[in-house]
Parts: sequence; C-alpha cells; structure tokens
Amino acid sequence: MKDLKSKIEQYRKEFEEAVSEVRDSAALQKLRNLYLSRKKGYVAGLMDQLKTLPNEAKRDAGQLINTFKDHIQAELQKLQDTFQKQKKYVKAVDLTLPGTKCYWGAPHPLRVFQEKMEDIFLRMGFSIEDGPEIETDYYNFEALNFPPHHPARDDWDTLYINDDLLLRTHTSPVQIRVMEKKKPPIRIIIPGKVFRKETPDPTHAPMFFQMEGLVVDLGITFADLKGTLDFFLKAMFHNKIKIRFRPSFFPFTEPSAEVDISCTVCNGKKDDCRVCGGTGWVEILGAGMVDPQVLKNVNIDPEKYSGFAFGMGIDRTAMFEYQIPDMRLFYENDLRFIREFSRK
Amino acid sequence: MKISVNWLKNYIELDLSTSELIDSMESIGLMVESWEEKDDDLIVDLETYANRPDTLGHLGIARELSVKLDLPLKEQSWPISEIGIETSDLIDIHISDENLCPRYTGIIVKDIQIGPSPDWLRRRIKAIGLNPINNVVDVSNYVLFSTAQPIHTFDLAKLEGGEIIVREAFKGERLISLEGNDISLTPEMLVIADKKKPVALAGIIGGEETAVSDSTTDIFIESACFDPVSIRKTAKKIGVQTDASYRFERGADISFLPQAAMMTASLLAQFGGKTTKSLVDVFPNPKNEKSVVLRHHRIKELLGLDIEEEFITRTIAMLGFSIDQQQQKIWQIKVPSFRIDIEREADIIEEIARFYGYDKIPLTLPPLKELEPGMDQERVRINELRQMMLHSGYDEVVNFSFNDPAKEMVLKSGKVPIPIRNPISTVTSLLRTTLIGGLLENVAWNINRGADRVHIFEVGKTYFSQGDNTHEEQTLAFVTTGFVGFEHWQKKRKKADFFHLKGTCEALMSQLGYESFSFKTKEVGFFEEEQALLLHLKGEKVGCLGMIKREILDAYSIKRTVWAAELNLSNLFQKQHQTFHFSPIGRFPSVSRDVSFIVDQDVRYQDIKQTVEKLSIPFLESFYLQDRFMGSPVPKGKVSLSFRFIFRHPGKTLLAEEADSYQTQIINALKTGFHFLLREEE
Repeated sequence: MKDLKSKIEQYRKEFEEAVSEVRDSAALQKLRNLYLSRKKGYVAGLMDQLKTLPNEAKRDAGQLINTFKDHIQAELQKLQDTFQKQKKYVKAVDLTLPGTKCYWGAPHPLRVFQEKMEDIFLRMGFSIEDGPEIETDYYNFEALNFPPHHPARDDWDTLYINDDLLLRTHTSPVQIRVMEKKKPPIRIIIPGKVFRKETPDPTHAPMFFQMEGLVVDLGITFADLKGTLDFFLKAMFHNKIKIRFRPSFFPFTEPSAEVDISCTVCNGKKDDCRVCGGTGWVEILGAGMVDPQVLKNVNIDPEKYSGFAFGMGIDRTAMFEYQIPDMRLFYENDLRFIREFSRK
Repeated sequence: MKISVNWLKNYIELDLSTSELIDSMESIGLMVESWEEKDDDLIVDLETYANRPDTLGHLGIARELSVKLDLPLKEQSWPISEIGIETSDLIDIHISDENLCPRYTGIIVKDIQIGPSPDWLRRRIKAIGLNPINNVVDVSNYVLFSTAQPIHTFDLAKLEGGEIIVREAFKGERLISLEGNDISLTPEMLVIADKKKPVALAGIIGGEETAVSDSTTDIFIESACFDPVSIRKTAKKIGVQTDASYRFERGADISFLPQAAMMTASLLAQFGGKTTKSLVDVFPNPKNEKSVVLRHHRIKELLGLDIEEEFITRTIAMLGFSIDQQQQKIWQIKVPSFRIDIEREADIIEEIARFYGYDKIPLTLPPLKELEPGMDQERVRINELRQMMLHSGYDEVVNFSFNDPAKEMVLKSGKVPIPIRNPISTVTSLLRTTLIGGLLENVAWNINRGADRVHIFEVGKTYFSQGDNTHEEQTLAFVTTGFVGFEHWQKKRKKADFFHLKGTCEALMSQLGYESFSFKTKEVGFFEEEQALLLHLKGEKVGCLGMIKREILDAYSIKRTVWAAELNLSNLFQKQHQTFHFSPIGRFPSVSRDVSFIVDQDVRYQDIKQTVEKLSIPFLESFYLQDRFMGSPVPKGKVSLSFRFIFRHPGKTLLAEEADSYQTQIINALKTGFHFLLREEE
C-alpha cells in the first residue's frame, strides 16, 4: 500500500514536469499513451498492482488511483483545449477561395416561357389539354370552319402526310377534340407543337410552339375575353403595358381580334425600333368569339352557349420578352444559349 | 395590298393626317403593314383577309372608311358614247356549266387607238407599284384595283366565229399564256374559248394569241365571275397566281359585273373608242339577296356591352345593307352581294363591334363555376421528370420533329418512319422515330463550338407507322459525353461514363415510383455490342441505354464516346407506380456487417442482388456494394466484391448473434449460387 502511494507520488511529479514541456499535439498524445494506454500505461500498471493487494486495502488504494487518473485526464484535456484554441488562429484557411459549385441543368427557354404562361392560366382556373400532332384535315381545318380549297388555308401553310393526314398547323384542333368530349363549362389552354411549311429564317421555322385558350359557357362575352387577356398579358409582361384589341379575321372566330401590347423595348419612342418598327405596338395574340359554326360542328348550341378562343406563338412571344433576335436559336440548341436560361 | 390615298379621294373626301388615317384604318381592322409618302401621295400597304374580297380595291377601302368616319361615298358616273350596233350582234356567249360560271357579261369597244395612257392614269398605276403598259392594260388594272373586279380584254378580231364559250378544257388542249408559257390543259380546268380553241384560262390568265396588241382596234371586254374552288384548283395546279385569280378565289361581287364592264368601256371611250349598245349579260340563275336577322339582345350577349339602337341602324345603313323590317329590337337585314362574308347574325354583330370600337368594350372576367385538376397525370409526371433531369445536371434541348432519311438509315431505330409528302427539304422529309438523332446533332454542334461536356435531354414525341396507322409516343432521351460538373480546385473532374448515364436512369425510375425496374443485357440497334441494356418494368421494355455505335457517331462526325438512353414515356406512364407511403424511422440502432468475396469476373451484380433479395431476410434493411477490386492480390479472372449489409429490428436492438446468423445465411446462399469465396478464406 505504501509502495503504491509513493509510486503515485512519483508519477505525479514526473507528470507535472512532463506536462510543462509538452508543446504540441504529438507530444501530448505521447504523454497520454505513457500514462493512460490501456495495456502498458502507468495507470494500467497501478491497476495491476492493485489486484495484488489484500482485499481490505483495495478500496482506499483504488480511490487513490482513480483520483490520480482523473487528475491526469483533466490536465491533458486542459492542454488539448489550449492547443485547439491556438490552432484556429495558426492554421486559418483562405476563405476567399471559390465554393463548390453545383451543376444544375438549364431548362430550354421555350419550356421556361411556356410554364410561365401556363402558371398564369392555372391560377385563373384553366386546365391544360393537348392532342395529337399528326391530325386529320377535319380537325385541323374543316371543323374549324375552313372549307376545303378555301384561300384562308393559305395562311396556314401545311405539311401533309397524305390526303387526309397532316401535321397540325395550329393547336386549335384540340379545341374541337375537347368540345366533342366535354360539355360546357370548358376552360382550357392548349400549349403544343405545331408545324408549317416554312423554311427557317430569323422569324420562321417549320416547327414551333403555340398556346391556345378556349372558354365556353353560358353567357361568355367578348368583354370576358378582353378581361381575361388583360389579366394574362399584364401578369406576363408588366402591369403598366397598354393593350389594344383590333378587328381581324380567323375562320373559327367571329368577331375576331388581334391583340397588340405597347412596345416594352422602346415604349413607342423610337422611330426605328427593331421590335415594333416604330409603331409602338407589338402583335401578341389572335383571338375572338368562337364562331357559331364551330360550336354547331361539335353539337354545342350557339344560341345557348358562347365562348372565346385565343392563340399565341410561344416562340415569338419569348423572342419579344427575352429580346432574342433569331428564332433559329431555339432549335440549334447551342448550350451557350441554353445555359443562359439556367437562372430562369 | 397597296392603297393610294389620292386614289381613295376619288371615292371619299379625306382630310386626315397620316397618323389619324392609319389609326382609323387599324381601328376597323385594316392593318397597315407599312406606308410611304411619295409624289404628293400617301401609299399604305394593307394586310388582306381571305374573307373580304370586297376590300381588295380602293372602292372597298373607301366604303369601310366612309362608315368609320361618317362620310358619304362620292357617286361615280361612267359616260359612254354608243354606236348603233347591239353587242349580241357581234358576239355570242355560251356558258356550259352555270356552277362554274354563274354570270358572264361583256361589251365591245370599237375603233380604239392603242397607246400610252394619260398622265393621271399612269400616276395611279405607278402609285400602287405597277408599270404602265398601254391604255387598255392600264384601264383593266385601274378597274381591278378600283373595284376589285378583274376585267379581261380580248382583241375582237382574233376571236374566231364571233363566239365566247365558257367551258371545261378538252383533253390535249393547250394555251400559250400572256406570259408566254405553254400550258397543258386538263378537263377540270375552266377556259374561255372561241369557236375553235381556248383563248384564256378563265379568271386566271389570258392567252397570247387573242391579247390586245398595238394593231388592235376593237376590244371585247369580259367582266365575269367564276367558281372560287375551280379557280383555286387550276391556279394551284399550274402554279400561277394573278391579281385576277387572287380575287376570284375569294369570290367576286356578282351584281357588280355590268358596272365594271361599263366602267371599263367608258374609260376606253376616252381613247376614241365607241361602245356597242346594251352589254351582253348571261346570268342563268340570279339569286336573291341574303337576308340575316339581328336581335338586339344578342349583341349584349356576345359582346358584353349594350349598344344603342340608333348606332346599329345607322351602321347597317352606311355599310350598304338595307333594313327590310325592324320591329321590337329585331332587324331583318338584306346583305349586298359584295359582302360575301356576311351570312349570319354573328357576322353582323362583328360589323357593329368593329365600327363601335373594340376599345369601348369593357373588361370583365368569365365566372368560374367548376374546378378541374388543371393537368392530367402524364403532364404532371413529365414536369417532375424534367425537373429531375435538370437536377441531375442535364441541359434541356428542343429539336425539330423531323429526320433525314440518310440518318434514319444509320440509326436503325427498328420503327417504320412516317414520310412527309411535301417536306421543306430532303433532310427534313421524315418524322423522327427516335430522339437520339437530334441529340447527336446537338452533341456535334456543341463539340464543334468547344464544349468540353454535353449532357442534354429532350422530352418530346417520336412518330412511326404500323400498317395503316400512325402512332405518336411521348419519349425521353438523354445523352452524355465529356466532363461532369464544373472544374474546381478541391477535386479532380470526373468524366461521364456508362454508369453516369445508368445512375440517372435508376434515379428517375425510383423517383417516379417504379422501384421494380430491372435491366437486361441485349443488343440494341443504336449501341455497340455488349454495351447496351434494356430497361424493363413488369416484364415489358420501357427503354434502353448504352454506348452509341461508332458508325452512328461517324455519321454525325462525332469523335468522342457518347452514351445515350431513351425511355418510352407513353409505355412507362401506363404502368402503375407505387404510391408514396410514410414508414416510421427505426428507433433502434442498426447492426452492419461488411463482407468481402472473391468471385469469378463474369458473375453479374444484378444476379447477386436478386439472390440476396430472394432470401427475404426479415431485418435486412439495406445492402450495397462498397468496393470492387481486380488485380493483385486478387487472382487473375477473379474480382473482389465488398458488400455492406445493414440489419435493423423495428422493435428492439438486434443482438450480434442474430445479425451473425443472417450474415451466414447470405454467405451460404452466395457460396452455393456463385462459388463465392470469402476474402479471409482465400
């Protein structure tokens, strides 16, 4: 017992000396091993010695060893804390180095723009519909009040598969398909791919995207059409744009209108504005009240129900919004162009 | 169509500034595409509408403006000097089919001096961008661009037999046109013929032989109308569009024919000619004027705005419509023959709205009475899928739906492509059967422009035919080549490989709720041998992925290796996906066991995975391949695989012995199934 006591005293002395000389973590670890290593440390040795003592002495001796062990642990911890504190100041990293960048894919601008348009109409309670891209002459033309061989078809230059099948020239055939299936109230938009026999140039492409809208119900008026498009266009572009409705002609609407918005590029102040040509207006939409013949074609009574329809080019409108000068950029898929829209 | 404002002043007293005039025109739908001031005149180029042939002349435009500006139309008179001969004494008119030619009028001007037109006429002709030719041609053009009624003039002396026959061509007949083209006529083409031969293609173009020349003295003036469909078909067939055919295709004013003939005769009389008495007028079946009923309440119902009765009555009258009867806010309206577009009440309401002003219609919103889901499941899923692709670092592209037959041959999608009958070019003459072709074009384009990475995807339709039917399939495809992610100082940049692509496939499938997918090795048209997998779900193929064949890459001039995947979304979305359920998180600690095996190199991971799954070990929460290693110290032809198995019991802490026994079960199964050797047994 006495032996043990003096041994502890000796260790303690040695420890105090050793601790005062520790300057770094490695030395600290060495010291820790010397005293606390589970198999060969001094404390372990003391514990072995404890086992040889008579039982009545074990309790006091054990207490002595534990106190000693606690003391060592506390001292070592203190030292370690000091080192850690110092470390922060000594080994600071250059925090101005660039962070790890996450590579997110960029959505195609036409999709971005289409979704933006869809969102506004979804908020107004519209549903999204679509239909086949290979259409019959009936749905693409006849049901929409284009008689066979009518010159009105010239404005819709068509790519044909055969005498009856064609690539839809507008999303309007989906109006017919939906009205055949569903009775009013109908409140839909139809975004989709359409085709024309056009050679690509800065403002034309043989394939592009359109969005059509259709509302049919009891008591739908031209004023409702104006209100709906007014809300949409202001949400889409700017609350302060001016909107102009002027008479036009489409076989499937009567009365028909074309809708212009004030040029947001020059605000009507530049005579040679590339976007509005100095007129101050940019044509955005075609619209009108659903022609009574179109309603009859789908067995909806035009005396009871009325409706409005509108359509716009997604490409053209996106070109206006983002000031993209050439429509072909959308279909070249140059990633430098697409990647610009990673923030959209 | 070019309109001269000075010319308009023949019909209407205009005193407006340029911008006032343009605003007035546009407010009623006469869209000004451009305008220019020239020779003290203002020339505006107007957009035309297929349903408004009456506005294809200055008179029609003046009529529109007169209503808008509330100004009267000036009366025109066309004096003539007659001789004592009846027109019918000199010429006989026969119409073979009154459906194809409902009315034909004609008159003769004799003793005319062919020569240059007077200044006023030359000015008019030049103003609308045409070249003056001689007094006769200029007069016909003047009448056409004044009244929209096409006029044709023949040299009377060259019409054989004193006869005009409007008939369909006989097989084998030919006509040399005014422009010198030799046209081979077919029986459905309507011609004007004399006793012996066709002298004009009715309503489209005249013949050279009977054309007015410097030596002409007597002229037969034709003012007729023809079936629009017949004119359009013939004009399309011979590939000609003239100012006349453009108007006849849209419809002529059948009542106006005699006036147009008289106007022409009167103008020609100014050049010394004398007109035969009473024009010939063959009009087998005159029709009554169209009658349309307009109800006042329908205006409010369609426009959402009350318009005063007085405005309606006045507008109708100014448009040249006559009111037959008016009682209790109902108008019975007779429509003049020049307005072929007006047939129904809605058409009249448009006229009222147009002149009242679209800008005066208020803004309201259609009441929402029913709510619908907004979009169908397919659209929802496509949107989700696009977001997943973007998050996986793929950029989105949109390609044309066309393909080049040469490329289609190389791609060998295994589907029958649909040809376009009238494509814009050969390289766009098919509809694409796969999205991969377009994506490879994009890869080539971007590599050529210095891209060191191309990871792109497209969602869109592919098309194919099967028997007589055409099909459209919603498809997703993506390709990957080059570096992954950005360059960064902390880590080395990885390059895309097969597993980069496959990882995206796996992530998509599990995110979409199709956990039970599997891959099968199989040769696929697009891909190199042994470098392709089919993606299967519930026993059906839903996609494929692999390394694009060298010969395909060569066709697109791509030198790099490209991996691609294509998924048939139409098929995929038909499969029931697992709906999401919340499962409680484990409250007790898990026990994990790492096991390394040495196994033959050709043992497939998917088989190992299925063997373990088949054991249905109750508390095996998950397991995965941690490491795969070949080469020393692993013997040749073998591979070392290290798995981690994680066990967890939902209701208690698993004992080490329990985990041990599951581990043994797994090891035994793999040993018997694949001759696995534990690393430590080696």
